[in-house]
Amino acid sequence: MDPGVLAQYAFNGLMLGVIYAMVAVGFTLFFGVLDVIQFAHGDVVMAGAFVALATYLALHGLGVAVPGLVVIVVACAAALAMALLGALIARYLVLPLRAAPAFNTLLITLMLGSILRELVRLFYPNGSNPQPFPRLLPTASVNLGNFTLRLDTTILLVVGLATIFVVNLVVRRTRLGLAIRAVAQDSETARVMGIDFQRIVLVTFAIGSALAGIAGVVYGLYYNEVNFDIGLLLGVIGFSAAVVGGLGSIYGAIIGGFLFAALQTIGSVALPVSSAYNNVFAFAVVIILMTWKPTGLIAEPTSERV
Amino acid sequence: MRVPLEADVRAPARASDLPVAALGIAAVAAWLWAFLVTDRVAILGALLAVAAIAFVLAQRSAVAKRYGLALARRPRMGVAFAAIGVLAVAAALHDQPYPLLMLCTVMLFVVACIGLDIQTGYCGIVNFAGAAFFGTGAYTAAVLAKQGVPHLFGIVCGAIVAALVGSLLILPVLRTRGYYAALVTIAFGILFSTFLEVNNALGGPQGLKLPGIDLFGWRFNRDVDIGGASASFYVNYVVLALALALGAYVFSRRVDRSWIGLTFDAVRLDETAAAAFGIGIARAKIIAFTLGNFLCGLAGAVYAMMQGFIAPNNFTFGESLILVSILILGGIGNPLGIVPAALIIIVVPQKLQFIQEYRFLLYGILVVLILLFRPEGLLPRPVRRYFPAPR
Amino acid sequence: MQRFLVTACTLAFACVAAMSPTALHAKETVKIVFIGPLTGGNAALGLGGRNSADLAVQLHNADAKAKYTFDMVKLDDQCKPDIGVQVATKAGADNGIIAGVTHYCSAVAIATVDTYHKFGLPVIVWGAVLPAITYGNDYPEIHRVNGTMINQNEVNAKLVTGLGYKTWVIIHDTTDYGKGHDEYFTKFLTQDGGKILADFGVGADQQDFTAILTKVKELNPDVVYFGGLTPIGVRLRSQMDKLGIKSQFEGTSGIVSDSYIQALGPLAEGTIAFIDGAPIDKLPGGKFFLDQYAAHKYGEPPEAYGPYAFVAANLIMDAIEKVGPNRKAVTAELAKTKDHQSIVGPITFDAHGQNVVPIVTAYVVQDGKWVVWGDSDYAKGKRKLAGGK
Repeated sequence: MDPGVLAQYAFNGLMLGVIYAMVAVGFTLFFGVLDVIQFAHGDVVMAGAFVALATYLALHGLGVAVPGLVVIVVACAAALAMALLGALIARYLVLPLRAAPAFNTLLITLMLGSILRELVRLFYPNGSNPQPFPRLLPTASVNLGNFTLRLDTTILLVVGLATIFVVNLVVRRTRLGLAIRAVAQDSETARVMGIDFQRIVLVTFAIGSALAGIAGVVYGLYYNEVNFDIGLLLGVIGFSAAVVGGLGSIYGAIIGGFLFAALQTIGSVALPVSSAYNNVFAFAVVIILMTWKPTGLIAEPTSERV
Repeated sequence: MRVPLEADVRAPARASDLPVAALGIAAVAAWLWAFLVTDRVAILGALLAVAAIAFVLAQRSAVAKRYGLALARRPRMGVAFAAIGVLAVAAALHDQPYPLLMLCTVMLFVVACIGLDIQTGYCGIVNFAGAAFFGTGAYTAAVLAKQGVPHLFGIVCGAIVAALVGSLLILPVLRTRGYYAALVTIAFGILFSTFLEVNNALGGPQGLKLPGIDLFGWRFNRDVDIGGASASFYVNYVVLALALALGAYVFSRRVDRSWIGLTFDAVRLDETAAAAFGIGIARAKIIAFTLGNFLCGLAGAVYAMMQGFIAPNNFTFGESLILVSILILGGIGNPLGIVPAALIIIVVPQKLQFIQEYRFLLYGILVVLILLFRPEGLLPRPVRRYFPAPR
Repeated sequence: MQRFLVTACTLAFACVAAMSPTALHAKETVKIVFIGPLTGGNAALGLGGRNSADLAVQLHNADAKAKYTFDMVKLDDQCKPDIGVQVATKAGADNGIIAGVTHYCSAVAIATVDTYHKFGLPVIVWGAVLPAITYGNDYPEIHRVNGTMINQNEVNAKLVTGLGYKTWVIIHDTTDYGKGHDEYFTKFLTQDGGKILADFGVGADQQDFTAILTKVKELNPDVVYFGGLTPIGVRLRSQMDKLGIKSQFEGTSGIVSDSYIQALGPLAEGTIAFIDGAPIDKLPGGKFFLDQYAAHKYGEPPEAYGPYAFVAANLIMDAIEKVGPNRKAVTAELAKTKDHQSIVGPITFDAHGQNVVPIVTAYVVQDGKWVVWGDSDYAKGKRKLAGGK
């Protein structure tokens, strides 16, 4: 195959992988502190994209047109709004169900996801239809044979990776991260050590959701279009990536995200059968992977307590 | 091995159980009738409010406990009364096809969810591919009916094929737990519906048509004439679905009370400890998974023949989530909870048709509120009793 | 006592006088039903159809000469066959409902035909395009105002091969809609001598097409044909641009919507697509429809199939006005529909209740509007499509 085309596949796959990884990291963080799955996470990404869009339109209405400034304001607005939403979800939907079986959290967040989706569809102007997302980044591009390297996509790739890196740094290297890891490892002991459990949970949900908000902005800037129903599939893929990588591990989530993007790319173009089978292929591989590594590629470091 | 089981040590029945249970069933049947029939917003709201208040009062006072004990003492009576109640509702609705259809749908979903409950609630295997096994039953019945195979045989085959397809997943399901097992089944569910849609051999996205059930010359899709009074053909399906639902219920209770049920409990609560006591974890999981898929397939086969048409987007991941939602809302591990949960998840959205595009929003909020008030589901699994129910 | 009687009489008279105008002229109210997807991914088209049908009813009810007042029940089929059968049973079993304007999704429409036949409820399909809905049965109750996907692909293949394009890549969603279009377009294009380089199926909720489009870029076809609806159409077109694919983009009736242009902006320019029916804004009734639609301030645009829902509702109400609220009579009356002038062109039902649509209109996006191909600068040679055609 032509190396330029191959590079193009790889680059597109990387971009897709970054978006998946950003979503997956959220899943894995939430699972870490509370052992629950926040199934509305994909819809939080969607909500983040719509907050960004609304912010952009508001700025546009006010006449603010400095491109760099607009991007930063828009991204911050999405991240902050989603951080708040994430903390609210944790406080009012997830924590109250702590005593119940973990799967009940799944149902309540699933329903929250459909509420978010319907809210955007019904109350965002013309929300049933795809919305154009503005091109806020410079669109210069270089052609290297069959490979088109676009500046905006490159920026998004770098920003996406950097955001994940920062989150990882926060979790690994700060006092806050230490507390998060302590709660993740053993919430009882962490509490005994004087860690405010509820605060840590809320902060973790805020961080994960802010990441989802930025993922929403990256999604919007990359595809230049957002629709109210992108959340469910993003959520499923993000969840799958987090689980394949190994729940609770940030590196696992990143690996899972890129793996999923790779599977989809291969399924679309490299299989001898119709590209429509790409989901069949991707998920069949997931089943095989899970059989091979039942607790994910990077396994949770747990020991059985009998 | 002989374990002293609940069934063996059941307390003798009390004479007052009978009228108490009869009264309860009559009240529930009357409510169900009104709920299925009503088209009015105000009445619907009132009915839901009455149900909620009655539910809370019953839980707070001794009434719920009283019924629980009466049922525990006389399990057969409970089943018989439930049958009488549903038949009475069906008789009252005999000329109204729509409520009858909804009643059938609810009962068939109850069958499928009891299947999932055996897997999830009893043995702790999470299954997010319920719709795939439901769909396997449906497609098997459709293909066999087309070949002219007798329908009863086709339906049973549907259930068996669902169980067989499930065995494809046994290895990954045995190796994984919790969310990891959930992912395996999610992957399978998505794979299944995508495959059906893309592959043209089974009708592709345009689906398959099915005939109505014909059992030994009894044509289910014909209106029924009983003593001059004409009843909708859905009455046939109500009777069949009721038989299946009660059968599945009794079966699941039997399983739960047997040594298999005890094994399931042990496996669900602590696999390592169970293994240490010499319990065959793999065997328990295989039994639970297969039984559950069998019931899903059975429900799917009958559902398909009742609907007369199936298409891949009846069996998507979204539909699996509906099945799981019923299970969780009802209270994982208690087949009794499935009934009210199925009514809420399946019938309430249809009752909200009057608010058109806003109905899913309201419905989502409703379910969230229920879960906030009942975090463990409507009727959580009661603690297993090893000793006689008190007199 | 006398005084009391007088007062009572006066009061009674006053009451009668007050009530009589309404009492005397009160029209009988007749219920009809609209069914379409009002929630979920296809809600945009469903809501457009619902609003349009509702507009027809409101305009009819405002007409003082009409014999009946119509009340439209609106039901959501969620684009799922089993829910479709449920709501169809609900409508069919309600004897107060005389006829229906039903279904946008083909899988739902085909699932419900038996139900309507069983209950004898005459319906007019307003959006589903699968041929078998009308041609797969002999039920007199089932009619359809919109064309099937056969017609538009035949015209499509003729037009684009006529422009001198040689090679195609087909991308379609794997729903009945996309797969059907794929099948018929492939058939007609091959007949007309076009060459298909590749055929890709994509999921209806897929977001990323860069992998497929990179392959398309490598194949470098003259035209990319897309069989599917607006959301994916928008994604494809926008990602084509990202990857620098210069091929002409053409689609089916599913992307003929204002939101396609709104979501893409200048990128939409030059997209070709086809609908079955006359260009609505050119017929006198069509202008009236659009003006009234705007005047009624609906929250959503009518979308491509709204006019069909409008026409279907009008056909039903006209039939009921003529023969009275009786399902059998309405079924018989609808079967007689011949050269009925409507905002989508003349309507004639054949023996299967299918509107024999002679007209397919080609559109091209020009300056942010869907313009009829024949009137466009592209057809006149003032502007060039991709590849200089």
